[in-house]
Amino acid sequence: MSMLTNFAIGQYVPAESYVHRLDPRSKLLFVILFAFAVFMANNPVTYGILTIFVLSGVAAARISYGYMVKGLKPVWFLLLFTVVLHLLTTKGGEVYFETGWFSIHEEGVRQAIYMTLRIGLLVLISSLLTLTTSPIDLTDGLERLLAPAKKIGVPVHEVALMLSIALRFIPTLMEETDKIIKAQTARGADFESGNMVRRAKAMLPIVIPLFVSAFRRAEELALAMEARGYRGGEGRTRLRQLKFTWRDPALAVILLVIMGLVGWLRA
Amino acid sequence: MQISLENVTYVYGEGTPFEKEAISNLSLTIPQGAYVGIIGQTGSGKSTLIQHLNGLLKPTSGTLRMGDLEINRKTKQTREWRRRVGLVFQYPEHQLFEESVIKDVMYGPLNFDMPADMALLRAREALNIVGLPYDEFKDRSPFQLSGGQMRRVAIAGVLAMQPQVLVLDEPTAGLDPAGRKAILEAIYGIHQEQKLTTILVTHSMEEVARYADMLVVMAGGQIVMQGKPEDVFIQAERLRSLALDVPETVSLIHKLNQRLPMDQQIPLTLYREEELERHLLAMLTSGKGVRR
Ligand SMILES: Nc1ncnc2c1ncn2[C@@H]1O[C@H](COP(=O)(O)OP(=O)(O)OP(=O)(O)O)[C@@H](O)[C@H]1O
Ligand SMILES: [Mg+2]
Repeated sequence: MSMLTNFAIGQYVPAESYVHRLDPRSKLLFVILFAFAVFMANNPVTYGILTIFVLSGVAAARISYGYMVKGLKPVWFLLLFTVVLHLLTTKGGEVYFETGWFSIHEEGVRQAIYMTLRIGLLVLISSLLTLTTSPIDLTDGLERLLAPAKKIGVPVHEVALMLSIALRFIPTLMEETDKIIKAQTARGADFESGNMVRRAKAMLPIVIPLFVSAFRRAEELALAMEARGYRGGEGRTRLRQLKFTWRDPALAVILLVIMGLVGWLRA
Repeated sequence: MQISLENVTYVYGEGTPFEKEAISNLSLTIPQGAYVGIIGQTGSGKSTLIQHLNGLLKPTSGTLRMGDLEINRKTKQTREWRRRVGLVFQYPEHQLFEESVIKDVMYGPLNFDMPADMALLRAREALNIVGLPYDEFKDRSPFQLSGGQMRRVAIAGVLAMQPQVLVLDEPTAGLDPAGRKAILEAIYGIHQEQKLTTILVTHSMEEVARYADMLVVMAGGQIVMQGKPEDVFIQAERLRSLALDVPETVSLIHKLNQRLPMDQQIPLTLYREEELERHLLAMLTSGKGVRR
């Protein structure tokens, strides 16, 4: 059950803030371009600038740092792995520590720190996006950004719709899973003990009801959409219009400044 | 088994922006053999409360006790607790998964290490109790039954575990009147027969009036009233302010009492339909008719 509560992390947290009220299109573009900046960074100053920026972004979005750090949980293993790999294999510069075949070099430590920062920054900036943008805004933004691809036959509307339905139902399915796990636990199910085969079999009482309910929901949703006259994206107007405000050019300026600084100060 | 709760608080999503205190500082004692009705508006914390009763949720703070067992925030092992307390969830039909009804009902007993022949026997009894004749239903797929039949299979699945305490979360939601009555009567039957401590969560005052000998009224994560049904029903105004109502029988008694002379007032303890009926008949036939 605690396993499931972790999935709440990364979910939209409604609030009023500069970051929340940015247009989703700007935020999406920003994250992509910011990722370039992260890959450009290669010395303490540039990494420092990016880190400070991300930290102030989190503050501007009124999200607690503790909560953001929890968001790093799913990637901690990746981070650890990167650190160990660099410490062990990257050679060069001063030798800090040596026993037999094993040695830690200056370059290894540097790369370990940089890679950690790089992954951490990318995860943080993208969770900042999903934490401050509702799934509907996110897919709307994506659909609008990708609209030109319709001309070459990409089913942008359909893909966006699928995405938004999927996003919409993730929390529902999580709740459902939680409920079914509890119900079977109440009937004495044991998911922890036994060998692999036994454990896999123990999952059946969860997986089967979950599939049954997912299919039921899918059918109901399809029926409800048809009943209300849904016929695909052709000629469909929008209830909610995305609008750029003063916030968006401001973000563009911020981005330019960051990219400029990183480009100028990198080694 | 007597169960007692001391200052139990539960917070969902502790340490996230979605933090929500669902029940706060509840203290409650459920006596051995009682039939307790829990009522309260939607979102008042009923389901959260009863998930504590068999260790599915552990209190954020506070303690639960049953016999020699105890659950608090740090408790690891809750299996023994679960064996003693059977919990039927809201919409339990969504938890069915086996290929046949009998296998599904036997799932719980087998999980608690009951020998297979014993489990079969219990499953058979349980199916009969909930009104699904064993021979007719045992080999059918649970997914081909009607919603009400599925519900009964799920309830049988918990009964077959032979718990000492039975907890039901709105077992009649979405059923037709006859189906409701059948299920509740079956449960009441085993409650009386086996002195099974029973806890029923419901939105229906009629249901609690009929079966419960103790009522717990919840609002906003707290217990706002508890006691004998008549002691709760007398506070009709308070109940209404909590968006609840008194049973039909109670409002009938109130209405009649306004017209009846002081020496013929009907006591509120007669809130059960049959008892009220008997009392009124006695009044009518003894010649002391209602004056206009
Ligand atoms: N898994 C959960 N995560 C977060 N909050 C929850 C969760 N389950 C319930 N809550 C919240 O806790 C409060 C109490 O919910 P609970 O399900 O106990 O109410 P209830 O009295 O059973 O309502 P109902 O009559 O609708 O079943 C509600 O405000 C609900 O939103
Ligand atoms: Mg409930």
